[in-house]
Amino acid sequence: MTFISDTYYMFLRWMKKLVRNPILLFFSLFQPIIFLLLFTQLFSSFGVLLGVNYTLFATAGIVLQNAFSSAFQSGTAIVDDIKSGFLAKILATPANRASILLGRLLSDAFRVFAQSLIILLLAYGLGVFPATGILGYILILVTVAFFGLAWSGISLALGLRTKSAETVFGIAGTLTFPLLFMSTALMKPALMPTWMQNVSAYNPISFAVNAIRDLIMTGYVWNSFSQAYGVISLIAVLTLGATLYEFRKVVS
Amino acid sequence: MPAVQVENLVKTYGDGTQAVKGISFKVDDGEFFGFLGPNGAGKSTTIKILTTLLRKTSGLANVAGHDIEHDPQKVRKLIGVQMQDTVIDEDLTGRENLILQGHLHQMHREELKERVNTLLKIVDLEDAADKRSAYYSGGMKKRLDLASTLVHRPKILFLDEPTTGLDPQSRATVWSYLKELNQEGITIFITTQYLEEVDRLCRRLAILDHGEIVAQGSPSELKSEIGADRITLGFENGNPEAGALKNKAKQVLSNLGGITEIVDSDEGIVIYAKNGGFLVPDIVRAFDGAGIKLASIGVSSPTLDDVFLKHTGRRIRPEEIDKSRASGMFGRRRR
Repeated sequence: MTFISDTYYMFLRWMKKLVRNPILLFFSLFQPIIFLLLFTQLFSSFGVLLGVNYTLFATAGIVLQNAFSSAFQSGTAIVDDIKSGFLAKILATPANRASILLGRLLSDAFRVFAQSLIILLLAYGLGVFPATGILGYILILVTVAFFGLAWSGISLALGLRTKSAETVFGIAGTLTFPLLFMSTALMKPALMPTWMQNVSAYNPISFAVNAIRDLIMTGYVWNSFSQAYGVISLIAVLTLGATLYEFRKVVS
Repeated sequence: MPAVQVENLVKTYGDGTQAVKGISFKVDDGEFFGFLGPNGAGKSTTIKILTTLLRKTSGLANVAGHDIEHDPQKVRKLIGVQMQDTVIDEDLTGRENLILQGHLHQMHREELKERVNTLLKIVDLEDAADKRSAYYSGGMKKRLDLASTLVHRPKILFLDEPTTGLDPQSRATVWSYLKELNQEGITIFITTQYLEEVDRLCRRLAILDHGEIVAQGSPSELKSEIGADRITLGFENGNPEAGALKNKAKQVLSNLGGITEIVDSDEGIVIYAKNGGFLVPDIVRAFDGAGIKLASIGVSSPTLDDVFLKHTGRRIRPEEIDKSRASGMFGRRRR
């Protein structure tokens, strides 16, 4: 079974690349940290409206934002590999085809996991501690990582299709804030205009945010948790399906 | 058993471009085989098909005894592929690049470790083995790239322009590695613009033009097909009547026997003739009689350059190709 070992070696390659380019980590952590330290302070009076501490409320949204903005970078990496010829070089070896993609996706998930941990630790410094305790931390990180894995499929598929890092970056950059603002990440639906409430009710980010927010603020809420996993699984199936489809085209 | 056997191979791209139009050829086990042709002739497409990176449209191709379509995994285990550009992961060290290749070929840890050490020694990268390859020079990167195709001890090595863009010294080094590898029994399938090296090293070659094979055979066979020596005549520079002079010279030459072909060239006139050496005194005498002054005269036996010119109507000029390739890289990121 070369599938597992090939996936591991591809994963290892991406992790090494990430660790050796700490600037990438800095860029993807910078924004969420600014949100955590400045945005929540600036809008701390939202907490009065919401009837809760705003930092506590927004942490779930910020962790999620970190996940999808990092996962969006995945496509640019595969474009690099296509342009440099490295992908072709790997494809000329007997390496398992699915492992080539999975190695990357797992590295994205792991990266999101680690970055989210950093954000949660910072948040802890600001007084955010999940109502569900240590187990809650683990569940949050796993959920965010799963979300990151599913989400990076979008970026991978885009990269494979357009073969242009600029396009992937452009689309990712354009989508990030509309998706974030039209979700429950930073505000309760009850305080949004009606149309935005409707959009945010179907925004996949809202589902993931709600589950994580419950783990932080309320406790174990089976309903939001199962909904989040249902939605993320659906995204994963769609984006990974698209990625596989585009990958096949590149390979032939 | 031939290392590579291709029959009526066709590749038509999605937009209708016929890159390869039904070519057939064979490369014997252990051969050093040159695959030549002008840019856009279909060389890279053929290499991509033979290395399982591109699907053929029709025809048959066997590599290392396995059908490329039915048994691509078996083919991949037995071949090493070096692409046109230097392809290494610059975030990894030289050693890590080699180890990754070995892992993807399912080599065992101990064997791999030893093999990598040996290869690093061979390509003279021992001292830099644990440095990030981003800091390597162009020649070092190329050597690492070559080593990375050898980790799993391939039986056949496919090389697409392995020395293009390298300085003369690095180029010579790469060619000498290839010669050694071939002597160890590895079949070499190479595309290149450097005809002198092809002449020296390739046992056989094929010339591809517009997706078709226009000539194949050993260098000496192909050269003898030209059937004539080359005589180059140069005239004085800056002569205002150079054109008229050339025409007059051609007229004089056309009265001489034994000339196969007279061709205009930048330097003057090129004549192809059997036993060219014997013709030189005749030419000089005839020109003297007609009052034509020659600045230079040279005789050479036909080269692969002449063979290439005859079959494709073009000359290969590696320097120019380097330049056009360099400008083609504009806006592309290399990693």
